[in-house]
This record gives sequence, structure tokens and C-alpha cells, in this order.
Amino acid sequence: MDRKREAGIPKKKGSSILKKALAIDNSRCTGCRNCELACSVEHTQTFNPRRSRIQVLKKEKRDIIMPVVCLQCENPLCQEACPTGAIHRNEEEILTVNPNSCIGCGNCVNACIYGGIAIDPITLKAIKCDLCGGNPACVEACEYDAISVVTLDGDGLRERAQGVGDLAKKYGLVREEA
Amino acid sequence: MGFRYKGYAGKYLDVDLDKGKVHIKDMEEEWALLYLGGTGISSKILWDRTGPETHPLSPDNILIVGTGPLTGSMFSPSGRFMFSGMSPQTGIWAESHSGGFFGPEMKYAGFDFIILNGRSPNPVYLYLNDGDAELKDASDMWGRETDTTTDMIREQHKDPSIETATIGPAGENGVLYGCIIVDYYRAAGRTGLGTVMGSKNVKAIAASGALGLEAHDMDAYLEANEEELAKVNDELWESSIASLRKYGTTDLVAMINEIGRLPTKNHWTGFYEDADDIGPEVIANKYRINQEACYGCGIGCKYVFRVKEGRFSRGPTGGPEYETLMAFGSNCLNNDIESIFHLGTRCDLLGMDTISAGKTIGFAMELWEKGIIDEEDTGGLDLSWGNVDAMIQLVEMIASREGFGELLSKGTRQAAKAIGNDAWKYAVHVKGLEASGQDPRAHQSVGLTYATNVRGADHLRSLSSLEELGYPEVINARFGKEKFEEISKITSPVHKGEVIKDIEDLYALVDSAVICKYGTMWPPIYYFDTFTNVIPPLTGMSQWGDPEFVRTAAERICHLRRAYNHRLGITREQETLPRRLLKEPMPTGPAKGGLPDLDYMLDEYYELRGCDKETGLPKKDKLRELGLEYVYHDLARRGMMQSY
Ligand code: SF4
Ligand code: SF4
Repeated sequence: MDRKREAGIPKKKGSSILKKALAIDNSRCTGCRNCELACSVEHTQTFNPRRSRIQVLKKEKRDIIMPVVCLQCENPLCQEACPTGAIHRNEEEILTVNPNSCIGCGNCVNACIYGGIAIDPITLKAIKCDLCGGNPACVEACEYDAISVVTLDGDGLRERAQGVGDLAKKYGLVREEA
Repeated sequence: MGFRYKGYAGKYLDVDLDKGKVHIKDMEEEWALLYLGGTGISSKILWDRTGPETHPLSPDNILIVGTGPLTGSMFSPSGRFMFSGMSPQTGIWAESHSGGFFGPEMKYAGFDFIILNGRSPNPVYLYLNDGDAELKDASDMWGRETDTTTDMIREQHKDPSIETATIGPAGENGVLYGCIIVDYYRAAGRTGLGTVMGSKNVKAIAASGALGLEAHDMDAYLEANEEELAKVNDELWESSIASLRKYGTTDLVAMINEIGRLPTKNHWTGFYEDADDIGPEVIANKYRINQEACYGCGIGCKYVFRVKEGRFSRGPTGGPEYETLMAFGSNCLNNDIESIFHLGTRCDLLGMDTISAGKTIGFAMELWEKGIIDEEDTGGLDLSWGNVDAMIQLVEMIASREGFGELLSKGTRQAAKAIGNDAWKYAVHVKGLEASGQDPRAHQSVGLTYATNVRGADHLRSLSSLEELGYPEVINARFGKEKFEEISKITSPVHKGEVIKDIEDLYALVDSAVICKYGTMWPPIYYFDTFTNVIPPLTGMSQWGDPEFVRTAAERICHLRRAYNHRLGITREQETLPRRLLKEPMPTGPAKGGLPDLDYMLDEYYELRGCDKETGLPKKDKLRELGLEYVYHDLARRGMMQSY
């Protein structure tokens, strides 16, 4: 696929890299869901938002629009919950699902409180963001610059925390009024 | 296996509401190739299935839900889809488009088109899910407002991501301009198709799908797509796009007032002194809380507003567009912005078109001023200009067709007829559809757009922003430098026939693909080459790579829609303007003294369209050239073709 891939993390095995994750700037997100489309194209060669690894959460009546995606946790709840050990960190330190061991039980989905992992409706196995091996398609597809790749050091952690904070606040809002 | 062309779901639904049966059918190859999708394919289906014997609110009328190959395809913007049928308001061609997220979801659920036939004995909603379709009981939803209906459906299926298109009480009760609301804020507003849905006892259509869509050549398509998106990001459009993102269509209130064509006081004039009170700045500064976009759209013209306190306070709500600000604002001499938010929202919840509702109320206010109606007619309501309380009551009364609301629920044409006297002079409509927020006395080509528009006095089939907002590069490239001077003159009728014909052709494709008028109408970024660029790699229809084929398809769609109306009795005589816009010179404002030279523009338009100038009917050769022999034979059989 001839798509421009600029910023991002080295693809080569063995290179010394810092851990990366996606950070969402909720104030920029318009809920257009182009990120979902781009992700599904990247991973399935089809336009199919249900197979996307980033999902835009919407509660329009409360003005809640929030893309949710795997945060590459330090202590991943999903990994812990997986009975077959299908979730592991790959050589680039990205949490990855091994489709051969995944039995599609959905334990990881229930465990992740951020909505970062889902079951693919076609393969019936868990899918999650793998940072596209370097240059995430969603980052590129977002015309509003709401998604970026951050390094999980000081600044990056702060940026990610901001996103998580927003998310918690929004979830809190939902709970409050439910 | 599957449909030959990609970008389509490959199936359509033929729903027999009388029997409660859904028939899943394979898409027709010829439909895609010759008519593309959306309005194009609808025109073929409507032509085949309805005609002069059809009554719009009888079970014989059909309601079509249509998507296009670009719907849900990552083209920006790709969230559009449409409805069509015969309009209860105008009795002729009806189509109504919406953004949001329903269109793509319907395709991911497996269907390009839905055709609703007949009438269900009980209220139902149609539920689409992964290639299946089912009619479900909607008795407990009947009578509910649109947001509640959407909530109930999502609840019922325990699926918050279900996308819906629903009607409200207005459509159920037979208000002639009942609309269809998509999710919460988007509307397929005009021509009363919500009422057609209501007459069929269908409350909603809901879709949820994980089937996805394929492209013929994904890499090539994505590349073409990126080329098109790069055009949007060209610095030429920077300020227009920035304005759309910041203000959405509310910006038009200021821009249009400046040239003196903001409908004010039931179109009496085009200049509103209090326009600032209902314009972009106050909304952006005081009420706007978020920006939104339709599916896959990089323009993002939508916004969410909130009125925090006072009588009209409410939670976050999708903001009114320019047309609503005009209809309930300047048009009724109402500068109370919070009341306009309220009126617009109530119309969305009740499911009725804000333009027709506001225009009909403005019409009644003028009749009140002129003394043609009084308290006895209105049941005690004081319809003085800008009386917000009366407007609020009227909107509710129209939706329930109570009291004076019953009369106004029929729109200006029928209400004027019933009232009699001089009322007709103040009914600002074409072919029964109230005028949208433009005025041909300030902008000549609007006159031609309104007059020839297949759905009445509406801007969305051929409105030109080229001369209005001044895009010299575009005018030169499309029509040649030698015509630049005349074309760019907003008050000159010269060459406007050519411009409007060209734009009508372009929008026919825009409405078939189906994409948005933003990016095509304003700013005028996408043109015919966009279709030759993206359609072949997406669909595999290589013919669409040929510019001539594309132009011919556009003309074919235009002629078929026009012929549909001819068969219902529309000729040059009806392709005209209301008295006010044709005969009363603009009284105040920057466009003072203006009047459209409609006949001049019509002559040019018919000539270029391949129509007879006397009657407006198509010429035989033209129809043959477009592969519309079947249209020729039908019209000829009815004695509607002369041998030219
Ligand atoms: S592409 Fe950007 S703006 Fe659109 S939904 Fe995703 S994050 Fe939000
Ligand atoms: S899927 Fe959820 S729990 Fe697992 S690493 Fe990602 S965010 Fe953390």
C-alpha cells in the first residue's frame, strides 16, 4: 500500500526503542470515524468499522464522542485475563494477540476497562491496536489531528493520561446520569 | 459470487408492507452502470413503479432509501444517503438527502437500496442486520418523538451503535412536510418523505452491520481518494474550509445578508437589519460547545450547541443550519436566537422540515399583517411578526394538525388556496415547495435554479456559488475566460443557463455517488473529474473513467428525473417563480431594485438541456442520445412528445 508513512517508530527488529502508544486529544475529535475506516482497511482490506481496532464511542445526546483504543498498559488487564496466554508483547514491545492461540472467549474484552480490545466479527478472535507496526493508519486518516503516537516516557505518559482522564470523566458522566 | 461491481453491498430490499414480507434481491448491474446510485437509481425505480395514477399518500407510492458507491467508502465525505418517492407536498419528484451515519451502516448491513411498497396494517420498523432484514412491531413507538424512538430501538436490540432513520409525530399525522430524522440531529428534510413513511405505517429503519465493503482495486482507490482529499486541503480553499469548521453553515447568515439575499419577512426583502443577532459570531461565541462531522468527513461543518439557562435551556443538541436560522429567524423577523434553537429542535423531534415549517409560519404572519387572516382564523393566536410565543405554539399545532395548525400543515400552496383572496400572492413556493434561503432578485441564477428544480423552490439541485461568492479560477477553468465577466456578475442573467445546466449535471452525480454539497457546491472543489478518478478503482466500472460517459450519465439522470415530472404534468408553465420573486423588485438592501430575468435564462437552459423551449419537454434526439428510448415511448404514448 503506497501510503505516506512519516513519523513513527522504527520497524526493524532488534532496534532499541521506547514503548509507544496512541494518545487521543478528545477536544479535537469530531466523531467522523474515519480512523475506524482507515484501521479496517489497513488490517482487513475492506471498509468495515466493526473490524477496526479503534472504536469511536458515542453518546450524542450527552455530547460524548471519544475514540477508544488500546493504551498499551504497563500492567495489561487483557493479558492477565487471557486463559490461553494469547496476548504478549512483541519484539517492538507492542501488546499483540496471537490469533493461533486466541480462542475468542472475550475475557480480555471484559477485562479491559478502556474498550481497547474487541472480538473481530468475522474471524471471531480478539483484535487490538498493533500500532500498524510503526505508522498507524488512524493517525494519518484523522483530518483533525486528534490522534498521535506518543512515546511512553514523561511527556507521552502525560499526554496519554490526559486522554485516559477525559475518558474516565466521560464514563463518569454516563454513570452519573444513568 | 456476489455483485459484479465493488463499492456496492450488492443487494437491495424490496419490502412488501401489505404482507409483511421482505424480499432480498441482487442489485441490478445496469442500475449501477447507467445510474450509479442514489438519485440516479431512484429515478429509474420511481419511473418504473409510480406515475400519474399514483397518489403520494396511498399504498401505491413507494419510499426508496438509497446509498451510492461512495457511501461508507472513506471518500470525504462519505456519510450521505437519500430517500425518494412521490412528494405529498408537491405531487411530483421527491428526494431528500441526509448525512450522519445511517447510510454507511445500511451498506455494511448488506443493502444498497430499500424499496418500501404498500402499507403495513400495524406500525412497524425495519431492522437490517448483517444481510438480514426483518419488520418488527413498533406499536409502542408510534406517537413518540424522534430521539425517544432512536433510544428505544437501540435499547431493544441492546446495541448502542445501531443507526436509525425515524419519523416523528408530524410524519405520522400527515403533515405534508414531515421529514425523516437520522440518528438525532440529521434530517432528510424536504418534500415530505417522512409523511410518506408515516402513511406506510413505518416508524423507523434501523441498521447494524459488520459485513463491510470491498473495493475493486483498494490501493488504486486509496490513491485516488488521497488525490481528491489533497484538493480539499489546497490553500485555495483554506478560508472556506476554516469557516465551515468554525461556523458551519451559520456563516451564511452574515455572508448572504451582505449581498442582500437573506429572505426576510416572508421574502419581502433580502436584507435583515438584525442579522447579527442570529448569525455566526453569537452562535460560535455563546452557544457552540463542540464540532462534529458526518461519516468520514474531513470538512466537519456540524456543531453541537447548548443553551445553559433560561426558558429555552437544554442539553447538548445538534445545531441549526443556515436554512433554519433563516426560516424561523429573518423570515419571521425574529431575532431571538434562543427561540430559533428551540424551534429548530422541536421540528427535529416532531419530525418536520424546518424550512417549510418556518416559511409557512412566515407566510401566515404576512397574511396577518395584511389583514387577510385574523384572530378568528388563528384561534386567538396573535401572528405579529416575530411573536415567538405564537411561533412556538404553532409548531406544536402544526405537528398535531390542531386548530390553525391543520391549515398550515399543508404548506403555503394549499393553505393559500384554502384561504383564498390575495393569499396566493404571499405564498412563496415553486411547484408547491416553499422557497429555501435564497432570493433570485439578488442572485439571478437562483431564479433559474428554483424554476427548473425537480423538487420545487429548492437550492440543492443546481445552486451556483461560483458567481455568488466569486471563484474566478473555477469559472475560467469550467467555462472559459471569455465568459468570465458575465458569469461572475451575480445580477446578470447572461450565461446562467449554461452554468446552471452544468451544475445540475454535476449535482446529479453528487446525489448519486452519494456525497455532500460541501466540497461540491461550496467551496466548489470536486468536479466531474473526481468521479472519473475514484469510481473506476472503487467499483471496477471502467466506463466511469471516460469523461464523456460520466457527462452522459449525469445528463441521463437529470432528464429521467425531469421526465418523471413531465409525465405528472410539469411543463415550462410550471417552471416559474412565485409572484413576489418574479415581479416585486427587491425593496431594500444591497440588492435593491433587483429582479430576475427568468425567461432569458430559461431559454438558454432549455436549449442546452436539449429541451423544447415552448414546452420545456425533452427532444427525441436528446433522449435517444442518453439511452432513454423507454422514456420517449412512454411520453409519446401520452401525447407528450412532438416530432421536432
Ligand atoms: S478520525 Fe479523528 S476526528 Fe474522526 S473520529 Fe477518529 S479521532 Fe475523531
Ligand atoms: S487492551 Fe485494554 S487492558 Fe489491554 S493493554 Fe490495551 S488498554 Fe490495556
